[in-house]
Amino acid sequence: MATTAASTITIKERIDPYLAILGPLAMIMMILVFMGIAEPARYFRLSNLNIILLEAALYLPLAMAMTFVITQRGIDLSIGSIAALTGIVMAFAIKSYGFPAWIGVLIAISLGATLGLINGLVITKFRVPDLIGTLAMDLVYRGFALVLAKGLVLARFPDLITDIGRGRLSWFLPIPVTIGIVTFLIGYFLLKRTHFGRYSIAIGSNPEAAEMTGIAVDRYKIYAYVLMGAAAGLAGVMLTGKLNAIQATSAPYFNLHVIAAVVVGGTSLFGGRASMLGSFAGVLLLSMMINALVTLRIEFFWQSVASGVVIITSVAFYTWLQKKDRDGAKGIMAALATPETTKLLRLVGLLLATLLLLFAFGYVFSGETVPSG
Amino acid sequence: METTPIVSMRAITKRFGGVTALEAVDLDAYSGEVLAIVGDNGAGKSTLIKILTGVYQPTSGDMDLDGEPLVMNSHSDAIEKGIDAVYQTLALADHLDPAANMFLGSELTTSVLGFSMLDNARMRRETERVLKERLGVTLKSLDVPTESLSGGQRQAVAIARAVYHADLRVLVMDEPTAALGPQETARTLALIETLKAQDLAIILISHSLDDVFAVSDRIQVMRRGQRVGLVKTAETTREEVLGLIVGGAKAA
Repeated sequence: MATTAASTITIKERIDPYLAILGPLAMIMMILVFMGIAEPARYFRLSNLNIILLEAALYLPLAMAMTFVITQRGIDLSIGSIAALTGIVMAFAIKSYGFPAWIGVLIAISLGATLGLINGLVITKFRVPDLIGTLAMDLVYRGFALVLAKGLVLARFPDLITDIGRGRLSWFLPIPVTIGIVTFLIGYFLLKRTHFGRYSIAIGSNPEAAEMTGIAVDRYKIYAYVLMGAAAGLAGVMLTGKLNAIQATSAPYFNLHVIAAVVVGGTSLFGGRASMLGSFAGVLLLSMMINALVTLRIEFFWQSVASGVVIITSVAFYTWLQKKDRDGAKGIMAALATPETTKLLRLVGLLLATLLLLFAFGYVFSGETVPSG
Repeated sequence: METTPIVSMRAITKRFGGVTALEAVDLDAYSGEVLAIVGDNGAGKSTLIKILTGVYQPTSGDMDLDGEPLVMNSHSDAIEKGIDAVYQTLALADHLDPAANMFLGSELTTSVLGFSMLDNARMRRETERVLKERLGVTLKSLDVPTESLSGGQRQAVAIARAVYHADLRVLVMDEPTAALGPQETARTLALIETLKAQDLAIILISHSLDDVFAVSDRIQVMRRGQRVGLVKTAETTREEVLGLIVGGAKAA
C-alpha cells in the first residue's frame, strides 16, 4: 500500500475534528451579535455574565455524564427526577434528622449513583430499551419525591449547601462554576485516557465489534448510567443550594435541556461520536440563549419551545453533515415534484385545510363564551 | 512445505440438534502456506472455521496444534494458542482511530500515581510499527477515525490486530475481499502474500475463485458438510474446482 504524503489531507479532514466545537461557537456568536443589536445594555453586564455562568454551572456535570450515555447510543430521561429526589432526601437528612451537611451532600451523590445503577440494570439486565426504561424510572423517582415531600418546599440550608449552589471563591469563579469546570476536566480525562471512555465510543460506534473484541458491553453501559446518576445527585445538591430550597417538582426541564446541550455540541445521538468540549460549549450556548430570552422579556414558557427547536435543528444539521451525497439531485423544485413528496404535500394541505375550516366554522357558529373559573 | 502441519483437524463432525453440519472432515494447514477453503453456501466452511477458532466445539474428532492435542472452549482460548480470525465485518469501531481499534479490548496502559490509564502514545507507535513492519502499510494519518480509511486500509488495521499477538501462527480470513473493489482486492491479496512470507499459516475462505487462484497454495473444497476435494492450486484448473464445488457428475 502506497505511502501518501501528509499534504493530501484535505481541508475537510482538517476541520472535521473541530466541527463539533465550531457549531456551538457559531451559534454563540450569533446570539452575541443579535443581543448586541437588540439589548446590549442589559445583556452585556458583568452581573448578567454571572447569571449566565451560574445557570450553566448547574448543567455542566449533567452534560459531562450525558455525553458518555449518548455516545454509547443510550439516553437518560430520568435525571431531573433523580436531582429532585436526591435533593429532597438530602434536605430531610439535614433538616429533619440533623445530619451534618457534608454527609448530606455525599448521601445525595451516592443515592444518585445508586438510582443510576438501577437505570443501568433495568436497561442491561431486563433488556428494557433505554428510552422507555429511563422514562418509566423518571415516573418512579418523581413519584417517590412527591410521596416524601408532599407539597412541601424545604428551605434554608447550611452554608455548605448554599456555597455549593451559589457561593463565590473570593479570588476566582463562583463555586458551582468551578465544580462544573472540574467535572468537565474529569470527563475529558475519562474520555481520552481510560478504558471507560474508549469503550463508550466503541460501544456506540459498533456494538457487535465491541462484543466481539471481548468488551464487557453491559458493564460499561452500567458505568455510564451510574456516572449519570451521580452527576444528577450532584446537580440536585447544586440546585438546592442555588435556590436555598427544594421541592418534589423541582428540575422539570433537566432532561431535554441537558440532551439539547450535548447534542448541539456535536455528540451524535447515533453513537460513537463524542465531544466533551462541544458539550461544554453547548451548555454555555443554551444558558446564553435562555438568558437572552429572559433579557428580551419573553415569557418563561418559550424556553421549552427553544430547547426543543435547538435539539431538532442540531440533530438534523449534524445528520445532514454526515450525508455523503449532499449536493443531491436537481435542487429543491425537482425534489418537490417526486411522487412521494407530492403525496406528502397533499396530506399537509388536507390537514391544514381541515384545521382552517374547523376554526372558520367555530367562529361562524360561535355563541356565548363560558368563563373557566 | 511437506513437513508436518502446524494445525491438523481429523474426522471433525459437528451436529446441531439433528442437523449434521460437518461429517468427518479433515483439514491440515502448514506454516508459510495459504490454504483456501471454497464451497457453496451451507457447505460447512464457516462451521469448520468456527471450530478451528474455538467458537464452536466439535461433536467428535480431534485437533492437533504442533503435534499437541488441541482443546479449546472459547475464541479467547484460540487466540491464546495463536489462532485468530479476521472476519468479513472486520469488527472495527469506525469512530475510533486506527490505534484505538488495533488495541480494542486489550489496550496498553501506563500507571501514573497508582492509577492505570491508557497509553495512547505507545499504542500509536506500536500501531505504526506493526502496520509498517508486518504489513508494509503506511497510513497518511493515524489521527483520523477509522471510517475515513479505504477498505484495504481498514482490512490492514483488522489484520494488524490479529498479528500483533506475538504467538500468532494460524490466521483465518473470512471473505476478506467480499466488499472490496478490484484495486483494494489486489492490495489485500498482497497483504496475504506478505503474511505468508512471515511463515504464518493462512486459511482463506472465499467465494472468489480469482482470489483463490491468485494467492492460495492448496484448495480444499467443501460440499454438504464434507471435504470433497483437496487439490494443489498449481496442478488444477478453475473448471475442476468448480466441478467439485457444484458436485459435477457425481452429484445426484
